[in-house]
Amino acid sequence: MIRTLRHNMIWGALAFSIIAVIFHACSLYSVYRENQLIVQLIAGRDVDVNNVVSGPPELRLARALYFKQKHRYDDALSTLSLILDKGDRHFQAQARYNLGNLYLEQAVEKVEAMHMNEALPLAGLAKQTYRQALALDSQNWDAKYNLEVAMRLLPEMDRVNSSDDNQNSQKAQFWTTVPGFPRGLP
Amino acid sequence: MRILLVALLLLAGCSGSNNQAVSYFHIETPRPFGYVIGDEIPQRIIIETRPDVTLQTASLPAKGPINRWLNLNRISVINTGQHYQIDLLYQVFYAPLEVKMLTLPGFKVLLKQGEQTDSQIIPDWSFNLSPLRELAVRKSDDGEYMRPDAAPSLLPNTLNVYGLVVSLCLAFLIAAYLCFLYGYFPKLLRRTLFKQALRKIEALSKSDMDQALTTVHQALNSLYRQPLFHNQLSHFFQLNPQYQQMSSELDWFFTYSNRYFFTSGMVVVQLDLEKLKELCKQCRKIERGSQ
Repeated sequence: MIRTLRHNMIWGALAFSIIAVIFHACSLYSVYRENQLIVQLIAGRDVDVNNVVSGPPELRLARALYFKQKHRYDDALSTLSLILDKGDRHFQAQARYNLGNLYLEQAVEKVEAMHMNEALPLAGLAKQTYRQALALDSQNWDAKYNLEVAMRLLPEMDRVNSSDDNQNSQKAQFWTTVPGFPRGLP
Repeated sequence: MRILLVALLLLAGCSGSNNQAVSYFHIETPRPFGYVIGDEIPQRIIIETRPDVTLQTASLPAKGPINRWLNLNRISVINTGQHYQIDLLYQVFYAPLEVKMLTLPGFKVLLKQGEQTDSQIIPDWSFNLSPLRELAVRKSDDGEYMRPDAAPSLLPNTLNVYGLVVSLCLAFLIAAYLCFLYGYFPKLLRRTLFKQALRKIEALSKSDMDQALTTVHQALNSLYRQPLFHNQLSHFFQLNPQYQQMSSELDWFFTYSNRYFFTSGMVVVQLDLEKLKELCKQCRKIERGSQ
C-alpha cells in the first residue's frame, strides 16, 4: 500500500514538474514577444493595438513614445494617462516624466510660435507632472533638469526670503508669468 | 530683620529650580549646500520632555505643500517615554538662476502639562540651492534643449528562466528515477547485482544456506538474463569474459548447489558459507570494475 502510494506520488511529482516546465516556457515566450513589441515601438514601427491592450504597462509606455515621435500628442496623452497608476514607484515616476515631456514639448512649440495663451497651461501641467515624478523618485535627474527647463519657461510668481523680492512683488508677479527663455546674459 | 532677609533669599534660591517643559532639544540637519531642484532634505528633531509633559502632534506641520516651492513629503514621530524623535522629509522645487540661499521655515511645537501649555520653537534652517541649467539658452537641433523621454525598460525574464531551469532539472531527475525503477537502465542494474546479493548473504547464517544459494543463483541469472546452469558456464564466460577468472569458484558453486539441493543428508558447515560469501565478494569487485 505504502509502496503504491509512494510510486503514485513520484508520478504526481513528475506531472507537476512537467506542468511547471510548460508554464515557465510559455511565460518566457510571452515575455520575449512583449519585449520584441517594445523594441519595435521604440524603433518607430507601430504594433497591433490588441497586443498593447492585453500587454503590460511597459508596452503602453513604449506606444506613447511612438505616438510622441509621430507628433500624435493626443494619442500619446490618452495612452500615458492609462498607466499613470500602474507598476511600481519607479515606473510611475517614469510615466509621469514622459507625460511632463509631452506637455513641455508642446509648450515650447507654442512659445516658439508666440502662442503664449496656449503655452501657459501646458507649461503649468508640465511642471505639475515633473513634481509628481520627483515626489515618486527624487533621484530622477532628467526630471529635475526638465522641471528647471519648465520653470525657466514659466517662472513661478512667488519669490522667497529676499527683502528685495518682497518690495517689488507686484512687478515680479507681472513679469514672471510671461513665458519664454532668457536669451543669454546681459 | 536680617534673619527675615536671609530666609527670603533662601526661599528665592530654592524656587529658582528649572521648571521648563523641555529637558533636551536637538536638531540634526544635513549639509547646508549642494542641493538642486527636486532634492529631498531630511531633518530630525529630538525633544526630551520633563515627566507629565506631552508633545501635541497636531502642532507639527502637515504633510503636503508648505509653500510654492517646498513640500513636506513625510513626517513621522517616534515616541519612547519622554523622548520624541520627529523625522521630516522636505522636497524643494525651486529653480534658481544662480546659487541661492533658501530657508526651511521653522515652526512651533506645542507641549502640554495638565492645563498648562508650553512651546518649543524649531528655528529656520538655511541652505544653498544651485541651478542645473546654465543661464544662457542652450539649443539643440530640435529647438530648446531638454532631456529626452525615458524609454521603457525591457521586461525582466530572470524569474522565468530560473523557474524553467529548476522545473526542467526536477522533471529530468524524476523521469530518470522512474526509468530506473522501470528497468530502463539494465546496465546500471547489472552493476549492483552482487552488491545486493552480498548484502543479503551477510545477514544469513549457515542454517539459511538454501536462501544464500538462491540469492547467488538469482544474481547470476539476472546477469545472464536467463537461468544459468552449470553446463552453460562457458557461454556465460563468453558473454562476460571478466568473470573468467572466477571459473573455478563458480564451478565449485554449481557443484555444491547441485549437491545441496538434490542430494539428501548433506551437512552444511560454516566454511561453506564463508566460501560462498567470498565468491560473492569477488564477483562484486569484478562488477564494479575494481578487479
